[in-house]
Parts: sequence; structure tokens; C-alpha cells
Amino acid sequence: MHADTSAQTSHGRHAGTAEADRPVLRVEGLSKRFGGTQALKDVDLEIAHGEIHALIGPNGSGKSTLIKILAGYHHAEPGAVAELDGEPFDLGHVTGSRHDRLRFVHQELGLVEELSATDNLALSRGFARTAFGNIRWPEMERRTTALVERFGLGIDVRRPLATATPVQRAVVAIAAALQGWEGRRGVLVLDEPTAVLPPGEVARLFQIVREIRDAGAGVLYVSHRMDEIFALADRVTVIRGGRRIATRLVSELTPRSLAELMAGQEAETAHRPQPPSGAVGRVGETGEAALEVRDLWVGPLRGVGFDLARGERLGITGLVGSGHEAVPYAVCGAWTGPVRGRVRIPERSPRWVDARDAGGLGIPLVPADRATEGVVGDFSVAENMTLPLLDRLRARLGRLHRGREGALVEEWIRRVEVRTAGRGAPITTLSGGNQQKVVMARCLAQQPPVLVLCEPTAGVDVATRQQLYELIERQAGDGMGVIVSSSDTEDLLTLCTRVLVVRDGRIVREISGRDITEPALVHAMEGTE
Amino acid sequence: MTSTPTRPAEHRPVTDPDAPAVYTAGTPVALGRRAAAALSFRNIGAVYVWLLIVVIFSVWAPETFPTATTVKQVLNGNAVAGLVALSVVAPLAARVFDLSVAFTMSLTSVLTAHFLVNAGLGSGTAITLAMTAALLVGVINGIVVVVLRVDSFIATLATGALIQSLITMVTNDSSITGLQLLAKPFASIAQLDAGGITLPVLYLLLAATAIWFLLEHTATGRRLYATGFNENAARLQGVRTGRLRFMTLVTSALLSGFAGVVFASSVGSGSPTAGTPYLLSAYAAAFVGATQLRAGRFNAWGTVIAVLLLGTGITGLGLATSAPWATSLFTGSVLIVALVLTGGRIALPAVLRRRKPSPAEPVASPDKKV
Repeated sequence: MHADTSAQTSHGRHAGTAEADRPVLRVEGLSKRFGGTQALKDVDLEIAHGEIHALIGPNGSGKSTLIKILAGYHHAEPGAVAELDGEPFDLGHVTGSRHDRLRFVHQELGLVEELSATDNLALSRGFARTAFGNIRWPEMERRTTALVERFGLGIDVRRPLATATPVQRAVVAIAAALQGWEGRRGVLVLDEPTAVLPPGEVARLFQIVREIRDAGAGVLYVSHRMDEIFALADRVTVIRGGRRIATRLVSELTPRSLAELMAGQEAETAHRPQPPSGAVGRVGETGEAALEVRDLWVGPLRGVGFDLARGERLGITGLVGSGHEAVPYAVCGAWTGPVRGRVRIPERSPRWVDARDAGGLGIPLVPADRATEGVVGDFSVAENMTLPLLDRLRARLGRLHRGREGALVEEWIRRVEVRTAGRGAPITTLSGGNQQKVVMARCLAQQPPVLVLCEPTAGVDVATRQQLYELIERQAGDGMGVIVSSSDTEDLLTLCTRVLVVRDGRIVREISGRDITEPALVHAMEGTE
Repeated sequence: MTSTPTRPAEHRPVTDPDAPAVYTAGTPVALGRRAAAALSFRNIGAVYVWLLIVVIFSVWAPETFPTATTVKQVLNGNAVAGLVALSVVAPLAARVFDLSVAFTMSLTSVLTAHFLVNAGLGSGTAITLAMTAALLVGVINGIVVVVLRVDSFIATLATGALIQSLITMVTNDSSITGLQLLAKPFASIAQLDAGGITLPVLYLLLAATAIWFLLEHTATGRRLYATGFNENAARLQGVRTGRLRFMTLVTSALLSGFAGVVFASSVGSGSPTAGTPYLLSAYAAAFVGATQLRAGRFNAWGTVIAVLLLGTGITGLGLATSAPWATSLFTGSVLIVALVLTGGRIALPAVLRRRKPSPAEPVASPDKKV
């Protein structure tokens, strides 16, 4: 173990002295094995009172396993020590004091979106009832309001959460976790809570997390993203390959040194946002149009149009609800609601296509939500890869040519460097980043003139993110037009030669080349220019 | 990319029946592994259970059970049940429930009898007309489920009720019998035999082969499974999921309709409740079948194995005990045990399904690391 413990010396390894020195959560020697795979090996973790402690590591590093063991979902191997505020507890059981002090907000939030905030909070806490057993709604709503009010987001506690914004839902999930929580002696675990939040709303969430810390609790903040660590955390523990690599004070780290810890030997290649060249073309300046979109009315969009040049990497972004998420789906003909507008690929045909029939253009889409839209979880890597390519694998009698399928899949596994036990392995055995590569590969295999990506790096680890960026850049270099719809500013900063910002259903700003900066994007999205 | 630890390559081959061809080259060791995987209890557990049942009944009823008569009885007696079971396999693969198959079967049995006996038509015409009615049922099911977007489980229950009312209209709720049903051309459909094995057994094998080929060797089959497992993802990859689901409802109506014609020929009458007893056994066989060979996927040969397993058990119980309640008891128990053993890996209709934790993150999967 190369674990670096220097940052821990100031925190009490000798539990039982003054309360302030005693860590609120201490775990030592945590190991977990799944079959032949060592998911965690001898991991230590210490969280102090009033600390936001980040846990960071690439996909497959064991982060989620660690959280699931803390939550009592998996059982650790014998020999691990666990203490909450100096009191040992059994990792195998979720008992009273552990439940009272250790609370979780999981990535999927665990909410029932058809129900209101009041109902969701009551699901974990119980309903207030009268002597006859019927629910006392006014009291329930008062209680809920009291809990969510402190976060000040104007949440309507009666409306179904499906109608709330993502950050409102995240806050309800946090409020649900905080009910009956012994905060001063407890730990709140947040597992990638910003995964679905647009940049403007992330700041609001951070403020809430800081408030919780400032009340004296410990916060364990799990993330993929380095910028969040620097914005929020006091200390960070890096794990990789199931081992703890280091625990450091964030103030002692630079993005570069943290990247080195995360990526090991390969830190050199960790992608730093670079200003895009800006040379690659706008239509009419350098390139010819790969795709033209006019007057698109879809969902919240109110008449959006743009040209995409060949070789261009065009970003489309905006706050949640602005309508930018609808653009990629509409362009690919995958939007399920009513659609108006027209689209054409000039090099194929000068005729405009009604946006309702845009599916006929065959523009491949990498969807935003890998689990529900991207991969078929019960399928193998190969079956997922060839799903849109089956027509060209047809042999006599409509038979599927297994040999050609195998060769095609192997070729793309090699080309995009998918890490898998084999092409027949179930897709769910791959890390998120590798699943994304499979989804990307099947789009590229169609050799399209235009590729549309939604949230291409969501849930993808740092190293794979880098590979995906390079892959996209390479494809654009070969003349493919790429649309990148993303709420992750790193995608836009690193990848795009031009960014369209959507607000209230319209394109309000176009930013090109070196002008694409984080502040410029945030101002355009928020309308604070 | 050195940041991800290497996954042991030999981790899954033996346990994953879907994948052996991929992990293994043609070495003798690999072939041995493939054979072991193919013969494992996980892959063909029902065959071992079936053998066990055969042994038990051979000991229990040594006089009557282990005889050639029993073999013929099991095969001939379950061919129609097998056809009905196969009819629901393709819809289930696309996660469509067709509960109207039993009614469609009754419908074609009484319509065939009606056209033959009451209308005096030739058997070819009678069968064509009955099958046209089945086709119509399939199209109506497709319209209600795919075009009008009603959940298939409840929609086909409703169309089933409509079909039953049509049957009652035609038959006045009594069986249609007549010499024409017992006479040569029509009776041969189900009663012609070679060495005691009747024609319906051949129909069963042909239907199973066709469905097996469709589901496992064609692009359409792959798209059907994709539709069933994740309709959204399939749709976004250009799979025309609605059309496929429509198609499966038409094929299930045609196949169950054909089962009704065969049934009318084999018993020599058109019964308004001919199909009713086949509904439970068809779904039992399809679900038990989905635990076999291609675990988690509804498939043809698994279903045939399950039909034989259930048929053998029921025949054996009949010979050994002659208790009238034994049949349903056996069917129900086998279904529950099979479903428990697969731990809910089988597709259930949306209305019956609890939300899975997260499709991308199966909790039980040992080598998933996040």
C-alpha cells in the first residue's frame, strides 16, 4: 500500500480524547471481494466533524462498493473496524444509532416522482394519523414545508416531484435523508449528487452542503469531477483499483497533482481544458454545411435554427428546462412528442426534410441516459454494438451472419479500446465509460456525416473521458460534423469549436473559439450578461 | 489506461450460457468448458428435473408409467398445449402479453366446426375462414396494444372477452359436433400418425424450429429481444418497436388459431371453451422455458422442454394417483419453483414489475465496479 497518511496525523487516530479530535466516522481495513474480483482492499477512511470529505476515483475504483458497504447493502469481509463518533458499530447490520447518524443520498435519489415531496418524505418517516387512522394532511404538509424551507427553493410540497426541477428533487432527497438525523454526530453521504444538475444549480446545491457541514456534521461527497472537489471539499481521499491511494487536504493540492493521484502513471495525459483552435469552420467561412436545421419547434423550443459545418464540433447547452436537451433528439427524429421544423443534409440531397421524418436521415444519436436509453442491459457487448447495424449482417434467408458480426464487433472493440472480458460479456459488467465507448462505436460504425452526442461523458471516469474526447476530435478531423449537447461545461470547453446557448426555448448566444469560457457560458445560460 | 484493474478474463465463461462462443477458442479445454456449460443445471435444469420425474413415476407406477403408451400419450397429448405455449413466446420476447390466445383457440375450433357442419363448406375453405378470423383477432390486438397504446396485459384480456362473446354468438354455448368433423380429410389433420406419434407433434417441432430460427438467428429476433428488454434504447437505435410488437400479436393469434383447428380435428368437435385450460399451461411453459437454455430470454426449445416436463408430470400423476387436483398443483408448483430459481430475471409486464435498482448497475453482478 502506498497510502499516504500525512494528512491524517492532525485527526485523532486515538479515539476517545476530546470530541473535536474524534472523527465522526472512522473505517479501517475495509475489504470486499466479488467472486474473483477484489473490489476493495484494506481501505481506511476518516471523516472529521464539520468536514466535507470528498471520495474520488475513476470508474471501477470501488467508490460505489464502499458506499454500499457503509449503507449496509453489501457486507464487508471480516476484520474491518468501523466507528461512528468513537462508538464501534457492526458493518453487517443497520441498527438504531447507525441509522440515526449515517444518512445517504444516492445518485438516483430514490424518490417516487409520481408522488409529492410530502409523500416522499413520509415514505421514510411515516405519516401523521388521527385516531381513525386517516392521514393528517395539514400537519404532514407543515412538517415537510419546515424541512425543505431552509433550502429556500420554493418547492411546492403538494405537487408531484416529476414537475419539480432537478435541483428541487435533489433537495427533497436530501431533506428526506436529514429527517430525524442526529446531524451533530452524524455523516451525510452524497453520491454524485450533481450528475444531473446544470451548472447554475450546482452552486445552489454546494451552498446547501456547506450549510450542513457548518452545522458540525461530516459530509462524505462522492464524485467523478475534480472541479467539484476544489470548489467544495476540505479533504479528499483518492481510491483506485480498490485501494486507498491517498488522503490529502484539498488546499495542498492542485488539479494537476490530484489528477496524478487519480490516474497513476498516466497523469501526463489527463485532459486540461484547452482553448479550441477556433479555426475549424463556420459554414460560409471555411467549411460546407454537414447539416442545416431551421425553425425547430419541439417541446420548449421556439423556433431554433443553425448550420453545422463539416468537421465542426458544435456544442448546445442551457439550463435544465431551457429546451437545449430537445435539440439532439429532434434532429435525430427521436423526439416522441409533437415536432415542427425542417432539416437537411446538403451533401445528400438539397431537399428539406420535415423534422417529423428526421429519423429517415439516419443520424445516429448517443443518448443522454445510458441506462434507460443507451444500452440494453440484458444484452451482451456484441448485441448492443450491432443493434443499429443488423441490416448489413444479413445473410441468406434473413439469417444473421454471426461470423461477420463477430469480426465487426472485434474491430470496433479494438478501435475504440473497449475494456471487456469479451464481446459476449454482458454489457452491465463494463464500467460506465466502457459502455459509453460501445454506444459511441455503434454510431461511428454507421459512418454518418453527422453524429449527435448527448451528455457524452456523464458517469465516465477521467481517463476514459480523455479517450472519448480524442475519439470525437479525430472523427471531426475526418470531416464528420458533431453536435455535442451537454450540461457539463468541461465537455463544451474541451471539445467544442462553437457553442450555442439556449435560454427559454431560443438560441440566445453563440460563442466561438477562444471566447468559450466557463464564465461566458454560465452568464449566457443564466441571462446575466 | 492503467487506472482500471485488469478483469480476470476467465471469470464468466463457465457460468454464462449466452457467451461461451465468445470466450473460447477451439481448444479441447475450451470445448470441454462449453460442453460443461451447455449441460450445466443452470442451463438445462428442467431436463434433469424431467429425468427425475421419469424415475420417480417409474418407481411409483412401474406397471403403467414406463411404457411406450405413456411416451405417445405425453407427446400426442401435449402437442396442442405446446403450440399454444409457442404462440406466446415471440410476444413475450418483446414484452407483450397476449392473454387472448386461449380465446382465439376456442374461436377457430368452433368456427372450423361451424363452417364444416352448419355451413357445409369443405375443410380447406372452413380452415381458411377460421384462420382469417384468427388473423383479424391478431390485427385487432395489435391496434389496441400498439396504436391505441393500451397495456397488452389488460388489452388482450379485454379482446379475449370480446372473442368469447363472438364464440357464444356462434355456438349458443354448446359444442358443435358432426360427422364432417370425424370424416377423412379434416380428421387427418390431427389424427394421422406414424408409429403412434400423431401429426400435431410434427407441427410442434416445425413451429418450434421456426420460432427458434426467428428469435436466435435473424435480425428481427434480435430486435424483438431488444424491444422487450429496453424499448427506449431499441427505438433510439432505429428499431421499429411498435411494428414488431404488432407483428408478434398477429403471429400469436395465427399460431393459437392453428392450435384451435388442430384441437377441433383431434377431438372431433368445436368446443366454446376449448382453449380455456391451455392459458395457464402456455404461460407456465413459456416462463419455465425462459429459465432454460438462454436464461432470461423467452425461447422456443426451452418452452418445448417445459411443455414436456409439465406434460410428463401431469401424465404420471394421473397414472399414479388419479387425483383430479394433481394437475393444477403440479403446474403451479413447477412455475413458482422455476421463477424463484431465476430470481426474477424474467421479464414481467410493466404493471406487475417493481422498478429495478438501476439497469446499468445490477447489484448482484460480481464484476461490476463503479
